[in-house]
Amino acid sequence: MSDLWRRCLERLESELSAEDVHTWLMPLQARDDEAGLQLFAPNPYTLDTVRERYLARIEAVLALLAGHALPVRLEVGSSAPRATPPGGKAAPAARAGVPGGAVAEPAAVPAAFPHNLDPHYTFETFVEGKSNQLGKAAAMQVAMNPGRAYNPLLLYGGTGLGKTHLMHAAGNLMRERNPHCKVMYLRSEQFVGAMIEALRTKNMDQFKQRFRSVDALLIDDIQFFAGKDTTQEEFFHTFNALFESKQQIILTCDRYPKEVDKLEPRLKSRLGWGLSVAIEPPDFETRAAILLSKAHDKGVAVGENVAMLLAKRIRSNVRDLEGALNTLAARANFYGKPITIDFAEETLRDLLATHAQAVTVPNIQKIVAEYFNIRLQDLLSKRRVRSLARPRQIAMALSKELTEHSLPEIGDAFGGRDHTTVLHACRTIKKLCETDTRMRQDWEQLIRVLTG
Amino acid sequence: MIPQLPLALRWPRRQRFEHFHAGANAAALAAVQALATAPDAPWVYLHGPAGSGRSHLLMAACQAASAAGRRVQYLPLAAVADRAAAIRGVAGSELLALDDLGAIAGQADAEHALFDLYNRARAEGSELLFAAEAAPAQLGLGLPDLRSRLGACTQFALKPLDDAERREVLKAQAASRGIELDDGVLDWLFARYARDLGALLDLLDRLDQASLAAQRRITIPFLRGFLREAGESAP
Repeated sequence: MSDLWRRCLERLESELSAEDVHTWLMPLQARDDEAGLQLFAPNPYTLDTVRERYLARIEAVLALLAGHALPVRLEVGSSAPRATPPGGKAAPAARAGVPGGAVAEPAAVPAAFPHNLDPHYTFETFVEGKSNQLGKAAAMQVAMNPGRAYNPLLLYGGTGLGKTHLMHAAGNLMRERNPHCKVMYLRSEQFVGAMIEALRTKNMDQFKQRFRSVDALLIDDIQFFAGKDTTQEEFFHTFNALFESKQQIILTCDRYPKEVDKLEPRLKSRLGWGLSVAIEPPDFETRAAILLSKAHDKGVAVGENVAMLLAKRIRSNVRDLEGALNTLAARANFYGKPITIDFAEETLRDLLATHAQAVTVPNIQKIVAEYFNIRLQDLLSKRRVRSLARPRQIAMALSKELTEHSLPEIGDAFGGRDHTTVLHACRTIKKLCETDTRMRQDWEQLIRVLTG
Repeated sequence: MIPQLPLALRWPRRQRFEHFHAGANAAALAAVQALATAPDAPWVYLHGPAGSGRSHLLMAACQAASAAGRRVQYLPLAAVADRAAAIRGVAGSELLALDDLGAIAGQADAEHALFDLYNRARAEGSELLFAAEAAPAQLGLGLPDLRSRLGACTQFALKPLDDAERREVLKAQAASRGIELDDGVLDWLFARYARDLGALLDLLDRLDQASLAAQRRITIPFLRGFLREAGESAP
């Protein structure tokens, strides 16, 4: 760092609030030469603020320190151009000025085809369970036979359940089997950003060409296309072009696309042409297996008992499991202690409390009543009509599943019912979940709402 | 135009790691230090009440990373007006520290911008450091995709220093300025002005100036008079 700038910054630190210094001045990098001082801002947002609020003062302090007036040039960039980080694109300067902060990489045609698949996401590192085995099988088939097996393949389900992992795994396998295969992965925001950029720079032809020249196009989280009409229009045409020439399309969505509001009907209908597979939240055994697998990858020693503790308490999604594991590993590492059950209980008290907090019997009753659109007092009443009895049984089974209460305690909480009634409810619902798709969806949706 | 020259503070509050009083937060401090200096360290999410040292750790991380030659930026979301624009604007850092995440809860546009920023940072290999009053699930975020991503970070619940530790810090800060704060003054202050450490240190700044201006030592009557004048008179 320029010594002059360091001294200037020190002086400014004593005049301005610490927040302002760290927000606006610390990001600046300096280079001084005979022509004066050059300051590089990481982005136009910072540049504008510095110019407006601080430049005059910077010049004054520099003049004071240097003993004479010193021209200051301010621009977006970096004092020392760095090698692009792996998987990264676009230097800050190149990315500057893209509306919506979207990455401009697709617009900036490089010579070689830029592969941006995450190499860590493979089928080998994917932990399979009942909840995701269909999705995995479909993704593998598509990778073995791109453009022919299922087109498009649409993976849908809640956040943090492994959709993106499967999508990358399919792309990676395609490339492994055929190194010339051009696979392009994009988050939906990148597609939107690239399109806006192409419209702005009047490069639509290049944009179209770029997306249509791939062997497989992977777009993540297409629910964010909702309400963006121009994007949908363009995506619709890209889709048709790829589909007709049997190029593979893989998409993910946070729900069944027909349920996404503000998505064009003709697009929805095309999304249904191939195969749509739901990725469900992992069950207990899969959660424990995922935890052990991640621990192994990170080189963290975690016993099965600890994995089971976390799997029992954290049901929401895989990311929360990962967060818990990271948190445990950081603490164990710091204190130099092994991760025992007691250590896990102790260190994750805050984290686990967070996940356990919302789940109480009254809360379950309230949510279930709302879900089935019945009154809470009816749910708790003695009436036995099917429209009340079934939700009541679900609420009891959820109470057994999600809380630590005993069967008699749960019976009491449901208007003083016998514990055998609760047990019967649990068995009935379990059986129904295995045979009745609708029932299983309700059950999983309620678990998601209660633990998410 | 001749710029107005602000008066330099005699004692700028340094937000460095070495000024952080870890107390019960030593593991959090170590994790943030690792993130500041070692690329590829896991991302960290700090949560805790005001005065527990969240902002201090974030700024210290920026400082340390900057000293190591990395591009850094600190963004206190509660302090900016257009949060979505700010989140979209702060590109190009190798370490970006985002403070007061709770300020964007329920703002769909800003939440989506942060979700996008998170994904981009992952893809580009830059690092994020987060702080908020509450854990990700308790922030009231409307976008589940963002909530789950924050949940994947290494998380630490910061504990505020206890009264004894806070007294130590105040005394040490005062001593470094040549002010003597005796126990009677501290007792009086803690009984009536029990605030978080940040607020206490701010008060010390102002008391320092006032006592210098008035050429008086900081005594209980002086303190009482000062607080009354500042409109902060305690019961």
